[in-house]
Amino acid sequence: MSKNIEVSTNEKTYFLEALKSGIRLDSRAFDEIRQPEITLSKKEYGYVELDWGTTKLAVRVSAEIRKPYEDRPFEGLFMINCEISSMSWPHFDNQKNSNDEVLIARIIEKAIRRSNSLDLESLCIIAGEKVWCITVDLNFLNYDGNFIDAGCFGVMLALHHFKKPDISIVNGGEDIIVHDVNERQPVPLSVLHVPVCLTYSFYNPGNKESNLKGEDDDEIYLLDANLLEEQNREGSIVITLNKNRELIQLSKNGGIPINANVLLELSFKSMKIVDRLTEKIKEVIKKHEAERYEELNLRLLEVGADR
Amino acid sequence: MELYSPEGLRLDGRRWNEIRNFECRINTHPNSSDGSSYIEQGNTKVICMVQGPMEPTLRSQANANKATIEVNLAVANFSTLERKKRSKSEKRMVEMKTTLERTFEQSVMCNLYPRTVIQIDLHVLSQDGGLLAGLTNAITLALIDAGVAMYDYVAAITAGLHDQSPLLDLNGLEELDMSTLTIGVIGKSEKLSLLMLEDKIPLDRLESVLAIAIAGSHKIRDLMDNEVRRHGNIRSSKLVNN
Repeated sequence: MSKNIEVSTNEKTYFLEALKSGIRLDSRAFDEIRQPEITLSKKEYGYVELDWGTTKLAVRVSAEIRKPYEDRPFEGLFMINCEISSMSWPHFDNQKNSNDEVLIARIIEKAIRRSNSLDLESLCIIAGEKVWCITVDLNFLNYDGNFIDAGCFGVMLALHHFKKPDISIVNGGEDIIVHDVNERQPVPLSVLHVPVCLTYSFYNPGNKESNLKGEDDDEIYLLDANLLEEQNREGSIVITLNKNRELIQLSKNGGIPINANVLLELSFKSMKIVDRLTEKIKEVIKKHEAERYEELNLRLLEVGADR
Repeated sequence: MELYSPEGLRLDGRRWNEIRNFECRINTHPNSSDGSSYIEQGNTKVICMVQGPMEPTLRSQANANKATIEVNLAVANFSTLERKKRSKSEKRMVEMKTTLERTFEQSVMCNLYPRTVIQIDLHVLSQDGGLLAGLTNAITLALIDAGVAMYDYVAAITAGLHDQSPLLDLNGLEELDMSTLTIGVIGKSEKLSLLMLEDKIPLDRLESVLAIAIAGSHKIRDLMDNEVRRHGNIRSSKLVNN
């Protein structure tokens, strides 16, 4: 991200004064996220567009058959590609990967891949020979703050939406047949848990010394900052949780220090939002499945129901 | 392999709340840098050198309001058991570097040194868990040695969770098998300037892990403070003799 984009002093002061009187410029509460709007592709499996306020992104999941790593013959491959281009915001560099971009990609990857949210062993076809390789391409289309939360949510949604073609093994395990999605119903991925990232941004209304030395915790924290809020923030923390009350990742890369008690308080408070977002994914996918079921008239194909 | 025996002993014979041997020296390279330090946290060994505040080589690095902090991280090929060439552009390295830069931007009084750059060179000689913590401590000491104005010490340490019990200052073997929380604490307070957790821990256990980690980092702060004072005394006694 280039450095020469600065918010004017007037705007900054206005914004901070508003915060001090408890108002966010887009009239959200301090711990309120923007409502995600979800578009699931009706035609293909694993294409999702997400509107997180005016932050927009498109996620595409694809699968191919590959040879597994030699030291892990039973595990499938899983990759997340993060594409941040100047399409989303002119100040993102097209060629060079700036530090911010690496951080965003790393945090999303740690939240989803490292936490084993996708069951890799279920992607194994023939041990040591053939496994599914699942690739998630994350393209950011418009930037209005908070790529991390939106990106993580989008990827999880797409993984739920995606179905890989059914396969059968023939010739005693020598050959495999990949069945076309029109020929046989494709199979969904086995997602073990749903990590949800929440980013809190910090603002210090007092001076630096009071923040470091003072006993009072008067720092203001905002959940899900938009672009203006992100440009003015003095620090941020990403908390990743799932609904089993597991803390998957904590990441605070610099910024003003926060009190340990505040951290605990924020993590506990986040649980409610995590539950809601997880529920939202389940609900949207379920509704989508039902629609697809109706549309394709799959009931006609089901045998055994009447028997 | 038993990470934590029923008797309450760990692989290297420590108890749950004990840190590894912590050795530190400052002013190790008085001729080649403005400030330098060497730390050993168990078998993790780091050299840190600070140049500056000085005029930036590139115009673009100059910020009219505050100093720019630049961290260079070099991990030696021989730092792990297996010899391995490491590239600086590896995502993990870039992440660590950026994290350190941003942490110290806040704890150094950057506003006192406008239009300058403070260059921090880190050399990792040996890795055995708690790398980020070790790097943070080394930088803190080297900055103090360089006489750069800071608000307070940034003391960092790792802590992990084994079953139900939190363990302090994990070594390399423990780190492989446990989720590790790295924290950086400002001085003797409970303010966290650095925080990194990469694997799952139950939310309800966070408090206990955090508590022991904060206690551990206060201990580290004291050890670093002792070294700074010891070195200060040597210097002042030299002044008296002349």
